[in-house]
This record gives sequence, C-alpha cells and structure tokens, in this order.
Amino acid sequence: MNRTIQSRSSGAVSSFPVSLAGGVAGHGQEVETALAQYLPHLSRMSEQLKQTSSQIESSVVEVCGSFQGIAQRAKETVERTTSFLSQQGKESSDTKSFESLIDNCSSTLVKILNVTEEAGEVSRRAIERIQQMDKASQLISAALVKLEQIAIGNKVLALNARIEAARAGRYGTGFGVVANEVISQTERSQKVNSQVSGLITNLRALAGSTLQDLQQMNDKDRKRVEQCKREVNESLIDLQGAHGEMKTMMTEITGEGALLANDIGAAVRGLQFQDRTSQQIAHVVGDLETLHKKLSSRFDEGSVGETAPHAGFSSYTMHEERKVAGIHGVESAQGDVELF
Amino acid sequence: MRKILIVDDSVSMRQMVGFTLRQGGYEVIEAEHGQDALNKLAAVMVDLILTDLNMPVMDGITLIRNVRKQPALKSKPILMLTTEGLAAKKEEGKAAGATGWIVKPFDPDKLLQTLAKVLP
Repeated sequence: MNRTIQSRSSGAVSSFPVSLAGGVAGHGQEVETALAQYLPHLSRMSEQLKQTSSQIESSVVEVCGSFQGIAQRAKETVERTTSFLSQQGKESSDTKSFESLIDNCSSTLVKILNVTEEAGEVSRRAIERIQQMDKASQLISAALVKLEQIAIGNKVLALNARIEAARAGRYGTGFGVVANEVISQTERSQKVNSQVSGLITNLRALAGSTLQDLQQMNDKDRKRVEQCKREVNESLIDLQGAHGEMKTMMTEITGEGALLANDIGAAVRGLQFQDRTSQQIAHVVGDLETLHKKLSSRFDEGSVGETAPHAGFSSYTMHEERKVAGIHGVESAQGDVELF
Repeated sequence: MRKILIVDDSVSMRQMVGFTLRQGGYEVIEAEHGQDALNKLAAVMVDLILTDLNMPVMDGITLIRNVRKQPALKSKPILMLTTEGLAAKKEEGKAAGATGWIVKPFDPDKLLQTLAKVLP
C-alpha cells in the first residue's frame, strides 16, 4: 500500500510507495549525512570567494593608481615639449626663440671678429705711417748731410775771410771778428747737426724694430682671425643642426605621448573586467550563503565537527586559504624566501 | 572647471572613471552609493552625475528619482554607467529621469565625448 511520507528536508508532502519508502528513506539518510558533513565547506567557499574578489579589487586599484601616475607624467612631458616647440620661431617680450639666440650669438661673434680686423687695419695703417716716418727721417738725414756740406763750405769761406782780414791789417779787424764768429757759429751748427743726426739714427732704429714687430703681429692676427671665423661658422652650423635634431626628437616624444595615452585608455578598458567579475562572484556568494542558510536550518553544523572530509576539494596551501579553511599552521610573512 | 559626481560602490571603478574624467579636465567628486551621493549633492553643486545601478543602501534608479524631486536638480544631466544592458532596465532608468545609459566596460574616449555632448 502507498503511504505518504513527508520529506523532512523540504517540508513538502510527497507520495512514495511503502515498498520503496524504506529504500528511499535509507538512501535519503545517507544523502543527508553526507550533506551535513560538507556543510562547513559552503561558508568557507563563500568566504574564500569574497576574499578573492576583494584581492582582485585591491590589485586593480593599485594598477589604476600606477596608470594615473604614468598618464600624468606623460601628459606633463607632452605639454612641456609642445609648449617648447610652439615657442620656436616666435618671440615675446620676455622670451626669445632658439633661432634668434643663435642669430644674436652669430652677429655678436661677427662684431668681435670685425673689431679684431679693425685692430689689424689700425696696425697696418701704423705700419704704413712708420714706413712714411722712416722715409721722412731718411730725407732729414740727407738734408743734414747737405747742411754739413754747407757748414764745411761756410767754414772754408770763413777761414778765407780770416786770411783776407789778416791781409787787410787794421782795416780787416772787424771783418776778422765776423769771420771768427761765422766759424764759431758754423762749428756750433755742425754740433747740432751731429746731435740731430744721432737722434735720427736712433729714431730710425726704433721705428725699424717697431715696424718689424707690427708686421709680424699683423700677419699672425690676420691668420688667426680667418681661422676664428671658420671655427665660429662651423660651430654655429653644428649648433643649428643639433637644435634641429632636438626639435625632431621632441616632436617624436609628443607622438609617443599620444600613443601612450591610447595604450592607457585600452588598459583602463581591460581592467574593468574586475567590476563584472566582482558582481558575478557576489551573485555566487549570495547563492552559497542562501544554500548554507537553508542547509544549516536543516542540519546542525556544530555536530559535524571540524574534520570534514576533503575528498573532491582542493587542498589549501596559501596563507589566506589556510585561514579561511580553518587549518592552523605556521604562518609565513609575505616575501619570505626559504631555501632547501 | 566642470564638476562631475561619480557614484559607484566599487573603489576600482570610481578610480578608473575618476582617472578618465580628470584626464579630460573635469573635477571629480566621489560617492559610494545613492544616499552618499544625495549627501554630497546637498553640499556642492555639480554639473553632471554619473551613477552605477546596483549599489547597497540606495541603488542608481532610486537615486535618480530622488534627484529629480529637487527643483534645482530637475534638469541636471544624469548618466547611468552599469553592467546592465537589458532594454527593460534601460526603460526603467529613462522613466526615472536618466539622461543616458552607458554599458560597462566603458571606452575612455567615448565617455568623454558623451559628456561633452550632454553637458550644456
């Protein structure tokens, strides 16, 4: 005969044939016993899932924080290079472009070289004037020679005058005095001539050595100025070239910055998986907790004991999982290394 | 600078959305759920609200309804940013007063373009 047997777990009334009821009841008892033994795992599983979700979120938060730093630094770098590049070729009241600085430098160097060249020109003119002075002193020397000749002539004349004065006797006395005076004046002028001649000689020697020095210096200066001009031009060309390369590099950096921003945007999209995963895990946790609650009301979890069988469950190895599973053991700090 | 209130119970989502908005030149205020958002709105005026749907304490749709009750916030742009994409939910949001609906994961560029369109 059939008797209705009330299912203890659901409270629902179901009909089973009596002949089967005994077998079903026995099997049902086995199932209930097994369920009761595995009940503690449910709470551990939901706790583990919650922890996993929390750890994932923490990691994503950390990664996001790093991306923010990277993006900020990339943005500042791009802004600085863009600002620098946009200033090139433009000038304001308090900023000068690099090109205008190079131009100023170039014109200043040209002015310095021009000043040096003018100094060289002055030395050349000095050389010319000294040469003219030397010619003039040569003429003076020639004139002095003539003066000496005139003086000698005067002396001879004066000697003759003395002789005639002596012949004239008493009437030639005055004439003799004049003749003597002429001789005396002539001798004095000869002395002066000789002094002037000596001075001229010294002057010419001095002028000669000065001329030699000036000529040597002028030659060296001219060669040095030419060399400096070549070197300055080469340096300015190199500087302009380096500046051009720098501008090119900065333009590339600006481009790389934009690419980096795109990559970070892609990473932000990718990291959003965590939000969906958290929600999915929360749903599973919710279901597990509901299941645990319903089964707990049916079975006494405390009576099962701590040693639930582990068949079919993973063996916990990590610290957190050990804690969740209630397995007590030696705790190792994160980052510790053990060598065997 | 325009101010945007982002409402989400997920710290990482608030961080990612906040990062995107700051890159776009916006000032960001954060709230953990609908009630927190209402408290923040009482203290500061914002230009736009960006809210998640499923949150503890007060969800996104309830938040929108409460915001629309306030005369000063009646026409404030409110965008939903949620994993939900069902048409029925979107209709519910629209009926509550949402200005738009963005399904996660969001694209940073598209989010900024949407904000530019919606903000007056």
